[in-house]
Amino acid sequence: MTDMVTKRSVSLSDEVARAVEAAAAEDGVSFSAWLTTAAERQLRIRQGLRGVAAWEAEAGDLTAEEIAAGEALLARLLSGVSGVASRVGVSGVASRVRRR
Amino acid sequence: MATTRTGLLYGTGALRAAARGERMMWALHRAALMNGIVPVVPAMAVAEGFRTEARGDRLAHLLEGSEVAPLDLHAARHAGELAAKIASTDLLAAALADIAVQRNCAVVASRQNALTAAARLLGHRLVLYAV
Repeated sequence: MTDMVTKRSVSLSDEVARAVEAAAAEDGVSFSAWLTTAAERQLRIRQGLRGVAAWEAEAGDLTAEEIAAGEALLARLLSGVSGVASRVGVSGVASRVRRR
Repeated sequence: MATTRTGLLYGTGALRAAARGERMMWALHRAALMNGIVPVVPAMAVAEGFRTEARGDRLAHLLEGSEVAPLDLHAARHAGELAAKIASTDLLAAALADIAVQRNCAVVASRQNALTAAARLLGHRLVLYAV
């Protein structure tokens, strides 16, 4: 984000601090660098959801069914199942799944 | 070999789908973010998306929640060498395959032949949502 560094005093529970130390060591980065990356990710997600909301403001809110279909598609992809987009829309069959 | 994936990688097809308002694409993008996943987009795909799509505003909204993977010397060299090995001019497909392997991502893209060939050459089983 920026090369400028600001020092802040933050309080973490012992458990979280230990987990961060372990994760930072595993990733080969400093405690601060690990926390910075985690914060950047959270900020990106927050900004991304604002982007989705901006699209919805124009195109209409995703319905509960569409949200569920998106969650299901994500779960399939992360579990290693490929698929092909369908043009029939989420209310019909949102996507065809191709097992390999 | 484990086939689970931990991230999402968008090609130009994904950007096109978002720019054209395909609701499943936006639902997938929302799902990724809600599950703590920031999708990755190669810089080349961003350039191609803004070249071909009229709705740059929608692309910008999608990219607000994405990480753009830069095309630095290392990435460019990898993509070029990989494309040469599969005898393809499709540098973006090569870059997608390369990033998919490095970041253990499922891919959302329209390209299939070159992408599949590049992934195969890398010994990677491609998980693709073809849009």
